[in-house]
Amino acid sequence: MDIFEEIRALSEKYPDRRGALLHALYVAQKDAGWLSQEALNTVSNALNLPQATVKGVATFYSMYKHRPMGRHLIQLCTNVACMIMGAESLVDFLKGKYGVEPGGTTGDGRFSLVIMECIGACDRAPAMLVDTDFHSDLTEDNIVEIIEEYK
Amino acid sequence: MIKVTIDGREVELENPVTVLEAAKQAGVIIPTLCYFEGLTPFGGCRLCLVEVEKLPRLQTSCTIMTADGMVVRTETDQIKAARRSILEFLLINHPLDCPFCDKAGECDLQDLVALYGPEAGRFAEGKRRHPESFDDPIIVRNMERCVLCTRCVRMCDGPQGAYAISVTGRGSHSFVEPFSGGKYNCEYCGNCLTVCPVGAIMSRLHRHSYRPWFVEKEIETVCGFCGVGCSMVLQMRENSIIRAIPRAGVGFNKGLLCVRGRFGYENVESEEQLTTPLMKVDGDLKPVSWEEAITFITESLKEIKDAFGGKAIGAVASGRCTNEDNYMLQKFIRFVLGSNNIDSSARNYYAPAEAYLERIFGQGITANLISGIANSDGVFVVGGDPTAINPILGLQIRASCRGGGKIIALGAPGGLKRFVAYELMPTPYSEEIILSAIVGRLLKGKALSGENTTVEAKLRSLKIPSDEDLGMTGISSEDIVRASDDLAGMATPVVVIGPDIIQRERASKNLARIFLLSERPNYQGVMDMGCLPDFLPGGRPVELEMFRHQIEGALGLKAPQDKGLTLFEMINEAETGGLKALYVMGENPLFNIPDSAKVKKALGNLDLLVVQDVHLTETSGIADVVLPATAWPEKEGTFTNLERRVQRVRKARRGRMASYGRDDWKIIADIAERFGMTKQYLRVEDVWEEITHVSALHTGLGYEDIAEGKAVWPYCGKPLRGMEGDFSVEGLDGLPRIRGSKKPYLMIERSLYHSGTFSRRSKALLSIYPEPYLMINPLLSERLGLAEGEKARISNERGVLELKVKLNEDVSDSQVFLSNTFEGAGAMGLIGFGIDSVIGSLYIKDNTVRVEKVRV
Ligand code: SF4
Ligand code: SF4
Ligand code: SF4
Ligand code: FES
Ligand code: FES
Repeated sequence: MDIFEEIRALSEKYPDRRGALLHALYVAQKDAGWLSQEALNTVSNALNLPQATVKGVATFYSMYKHRPMGRHLIQLCTNVACMIMGAESLVDFLKGKYGVEPGGTTGDGRFSLVIMECIGACDRAPAMLVDTDFHSDLTEDNIVEIIEEYK
Repeated sequence: MIKVTIDGREVELENPVTVLEAAKQAGVIIPTLCYFEGLTPFGGCRLCLVEVEKLPRLQTSCTIMTADGMVVRTETDQIKAARRSILEFLLINHPLDCPFCDKAGECDLQDLVALYGPEAGRFAEGKRRHPESFDDPIIVRNMERCVLCTRCVRMCDGPQGAYAISVTGRGSHSFVEPFSGGKYNCEYCGNCLTVCPVGAIMSRLHRHSYRPWFVEKEIETVCGFCGVGCSMVLQMRENSIIRAIPRAGVGFNKGLLCVRGRFGYENVESEEQLTTPLMKVDGDLKPVSWEEAITFITESLKEIKDAFGGKAIGAVASGRCTNEDNYMLQKFIRFVLGSNNIDSSARNYYAPAEAYLERIFGQGITANLISGIANSDGVFVVGGDPTAINPILGLQIRASCRGGGKIIALGAPGGLKRFVAYELMPTPYSEEIILSAIVGRLLKGKALSGENTTVEAKLRSLKIPSDEDLGMTGISSEDIVRASDDLAGMATPVVVIGPDIIQRERASKNLARIFLLSERPNYQGVMDMGCLPDFLPGGRPVELEMFRHQIEGALGLKAPQDKGLTLFEMINEAETGGLKALYVMGENPLFNIPDSAKVKKALGNLDLLVVQDVHLTETSGIADVVLPATAWPEKEGTFTNLERRVQRVRKARRGRMASYGRDDWKIIADIAERFGMTKQYLRVEDVWEEITHVSALHTGLGYEDIAEGKAVWPYCGKPLRGMEGDFSVEGLDGLPRIRGSKKPYLMIERSLYHSGTFSRRSKALLSIYPEPYLMINPLLSERLGLAEGEKARISNERGVLELKVKLNEDVSDSQVFLSNTFEGAGAMGLIGFGIDSVIGSLYIKDNTVRVEKVRV
């Protein structure tokens, strides 16, 4: 099923088309990892919602990306608890190890790094998400191990 | 009854309103920034904060509703301090580049800061940067100045219904953007510019060319682009129009304009404006004096009249000229030269459709108020996209939808795409069958009301299509049932009829209020002034002696008793040599009526072709004499819009060379005088005065009444009632044959951005829609091997054109669309026409074209 069809099908489950928008944007982002103008356009057509409205919503939420992303997305929390537990040095560590700046992507297109606000795992700080997988109690050693699982 | 005290003043309110509105009634002005009358309240800027007794915090007066016993204070020290802080926050990111900003002087932010301070901000962090965007030809976007009031978005998503812009991003990274991020690609109504309180979105047309305090005078007039007739203000400096703007509270357009009205004015300042009379000498047009030109015309017309009689002379009136102009032309041709051969391009559809409807239902059937559409619970749109042809009327249909009305379209819904409940897309030329089927079903379910038996009898003689007939239309009988039931279920239905419907339009008065879309500002006036071969001023039939004698008596002049030739009949007669002279006022027949090759041949055959126009056109290019006329903002007079409201047009500027272009009516009166017309007209008021004596419709209607907006149908005159019995309506018992064709049909694209040939001289409109293109469905383009932007050749025996292809999914794949705007590339030229035997209107015959790819 292509994205258009998939969005059409999922919109059936919502009482109105607007309600389906966030879900539809996830679907549109699934393959490429980000939302191009064409992807937004597909969402707009599939839900028969104005393009500008779709763009407004898509740019409001930080989980939607508007630039090409690496194959995997590392979302590292640096909020208070994680910061105290050393998240900031992990950022520097990743930069040294993989050459990736916050908001950037590795040269080989393997990872993108995004700094997150609290993800609700303060008791096991520092914490991060890689794609949709949750990882906690990070150190310089285990973070490499975890990341190397993602090719 | 609700009693509220605001700053010590008591107000009594029938219904709960917001505190802000109640304050206004009490004469208390509360400062606002995100509030704008007519837009949904937002409560975002917090400037309208007020103290309400018994409520703990300051409240936003634009959102809080009044309740009985409320005590409100609007200017306490606490409030002032709050406003001051809010403004300080707003200024954190505001560039304060007022000396460089076109808005300075009429900027709400500037005014508010002047009122409440602060004189300096305390933030040292530096301002957000966002470069000014010049990606769009019309709108300059400077998001550093944006205060995020969202008035523009609420305008675009609300009254305008274009949904072209949105707030993107979040927090201090929020900006207002069109989808592309650069070019707007929107309807370019500019209504967002009206509501922006600051200089964040500005018109590029007059960028840095004025300051608001440069405006020397403001002329309240009506737009000269289409039959809606929106009120607008032309702001002038010396003889130039600085801006065309709407004025809230003036006119039924309620502060809205469309792209043509707002940005199209530049064409009247075009360099190509004629400045002197021209006469053909040895095949070329050469400048001559007025005296020479008028003497020549007079002598030639005299010769022709003496040799062949008045019948050999004809005239074409203009939907772009005023009632006074058209009346004078009619008087000259009919009462001075003795010919009823007068018609206009309203013959293309407007005139016959209205005449037909009036024959069934009586005069005035199409005179309904546009503002009423928004309150109706259903609209049936047939044969055209109102949001492109008559945009402000189109907005009313969108409003009806927002209010819960059901919109049904027969044909492509165009700008109503997001608003229609559904559309019926029949195969080309089968619309009439669909309409007959719908009317048939509606009548079946309805008992005779006995109210208007003639009408009902006529409608009952309609041939109702069988299922087999329907088979060819591509519309199923279930669709018909659904549409008919929906229509029958509407309590206050509206029917909007556009130019693309086959002219034999049928509808029932008991069924609906009818609106006829009008591409020109004054088609209705052309008709009411008697610029029709069969009707005298006031819509009185020429052939009925009683009426003719009345008018002859009023004028002391005689008119011929037989009806004259229609526009198409005149073309035919010119071709065969029966018509010798044609006087064309403000019209371009060579471009605006079908089959240019035939028209060119016919006009070339005339002994005398006089063209009176603002610019040199295709037709004036082959004329014997060309007379320069004044353009719409240069003249005084009246237009009658499609709801039959008479409105004043006002002179804003004098011609580039004030002594050159002359008013159409004046030129004609001059010539008529040389034929012995004794009546003298000093001012345009004198012409109107005569009209009110001659036309029974306009009796007693003075310019003062019109200025006060009282000139709404049926004025104080006498519409013809009970005419139904006088006319038979033929052709109700047959159905058209559907002409199947493998080749696509060439249709006229009626674009929002253009208005016939008038707009091709507007820089602004051209910057949006710069060159002709052929609009085709992607399915068809695939079959033809044509991609977007490639060149296609379209041809038939009437001609060949080469055009860029533009894809559009919303058009049918058996049709291709081309505008009739650009020189050398008008759709009309390739369309063949016939004349409908029943109502004398043009019907399109053979408009198929071969479409192929141009190989390079
Ligand atoms: S010009 Fe009109 S259509 Fe375009 S963004 Fe502004 S309000 Fe919307
Ligand atoms: S562009 Fe103007 S109207 Fe739109 S949000 Fe910004 S300040 Fe308000
Ligand atoms: S709707 Fe018609 S009259 Fe109104 S502004 Fe547009 S073109 Fe002018
Ligand atoms: S601060 Fe990092 S998870 Fe809560
Ligand atoms: S005007 Fe009331 S909050 Fe903006």
